[in-house]
Amino acid sequence: MAMNQLFFRKTIIAGTGLFLCIFLVVHLSANCILLLPEETARGLYNSYSTTLRESPLIKIVAYLLYLSIVLHVVYALLITIRNRKAKPQKYVVNHSKENSSWTSQNMGLIGTMILLFIVVHLANFWARIKLGMGDVVGLDAAGNVDVYEVTSSLFHNIYYVIFYTALAIPLALHLHHGFKSAFKTLGFYHKKGLRMVAKIALVYAIIMGVGFGIIPFIVYLK
Amino acid sequence: MQVTFKIWRQEGPNDKGAIRAYEVDGLTEDMSFLEALDHLNELLVLKNEKVIAFEYDCREGICGQCGVFINGRAHGPLDNMTTCQLHMRSFKDGDTIVIEPWRAASFPVIKDLIVDRSAFDRIIEQGAFISAKTGTAPEANAIPIPKEVSDRAMDAAACIGCGACVATCKNSSAALFTSAKINHLNGLPQGRAEEHKRVAEMTFQMEIEGFGSCTFTGACEVECPEGISVINIAEMNARVTKAKFFG
Repeated sequence: MAMNQLFFRKTIIAGTGLFLCIFLVVHLSANCILLLPEETARGLYNSYSTTLRESPLIKIVAYLLYLSIVLHVVYALLITIRNRKAKPQKYVVNHSKENSSWTSQNMGLIGTMILLFIVVHLANFWARIKLGMGDVVGLDAAGNVDVYEVTSSLFHNIYYVIFYTALAIPLALHLHHGFKSAFKTLGFYHKKGLRMVAKIALVYAIIMGVGFGIIPFIVYLK
Repeated sequence: MQVTFKIWRQEGPNDKGAIRAYEVDGLTEDMSFLEALDHLNELLVLKNEKVIAFEYDCREGICGQCGVFINGRAHGPLDNMTTCQLHMRSFKDGDTIVIEPWRAASFPVIKDLIVDRSAFDRIIEQGAFISAKTGTAPEANAIPIPKEVSDRAMDAAACIGCGACVATCKNSSAALFTSAKINHLNGLPQGRAEEHKRVAEMTFQMEIEGFGSCTFTGACEVECPEGISVINIAEMNARVTKAKFFG
């Protein structure tokens, strides 16, 4: 029996999606350091990022992360193309909002917005710190690369603050639908369990959306 | 009661087709939706125009023959109901009602509101049955089956194959239909002997028929006349994985 593409692709998307969900928890936890008073935050944030950069384990996880994002995007694109082909003619009138959420109908669009965000986000941080593009990043008092300064200066630009905060909305929407659907795609079909997953997905999406959305704003006001 | 029907007219599979408006008077709200279309067709016959082609059989909500997209919803504005069980009391006097055929690459339009759903039949042919000769009906208690198991199989078996799931799905996925047929048989001891073969072959057929993938919008469950749960799709996904390893 030939490989079942419909299931294989969806499994990849669900699996990488859940892995990225775990990553976001770690990422947001680290972002919370930015909420501490200025000097404590600078020291802690810089030493944390140095530890990450120097850890060989994190290096593997980082490559897994890049791979996950690429696979998630590529396979999402592939199934979207196939799904569009499966419905070549649209309805003249379609009230899909009466039977499903707007989010679930527009995961591709929302995902594209997040991808745009990731590109800008990587240009802001990853390109400067890891690739050394743009202005040279200095060292802090402890001799660590001053990632805090990069963050703080970025979030004192109101346009970036608005961009980061606004893009937390599609992130929350994407996570809400993605998290609960991934379980079903991976074959979790316990009725009560799925109700629980739906609740966790909602709480998770709110925490991630509000968390990532509000921290740039707080840094701006500091 | 007077309404304006805006109906998709298409001569044949290769015709381009377009929406045409018909003002219809003399309807009552006790009429079923299909009776209202019958009424329109009678008016068209009197005017020597071609009647609107639409499918139906039992008009009792059990056969799955009828099914059109009404005002942006599969089987009309009410949840979990067939087109034939919809009545004109669900609309207001003076309403405009847009009627379109099911839209999916795998369901090509034959004429007007009739689509070719034989893709479903070909999925069924791949194993939605038990191949052993069963002879006459066996004694009912010969194979004990727990109540919950038989209930779940019955819930899945309730699928009437109307195609509303495919029609409403933005991806034209046949996952709800296929999963209902698979879970109906694979949940029961009689179907278990061929479970992995059945899952593999039916899902593969679903794929080569050109249906899209399920992204769990949940729209199918709302439009399904039998209210078949999308959890069936999650169960089918688990069965596909199981069949890969043990099939």
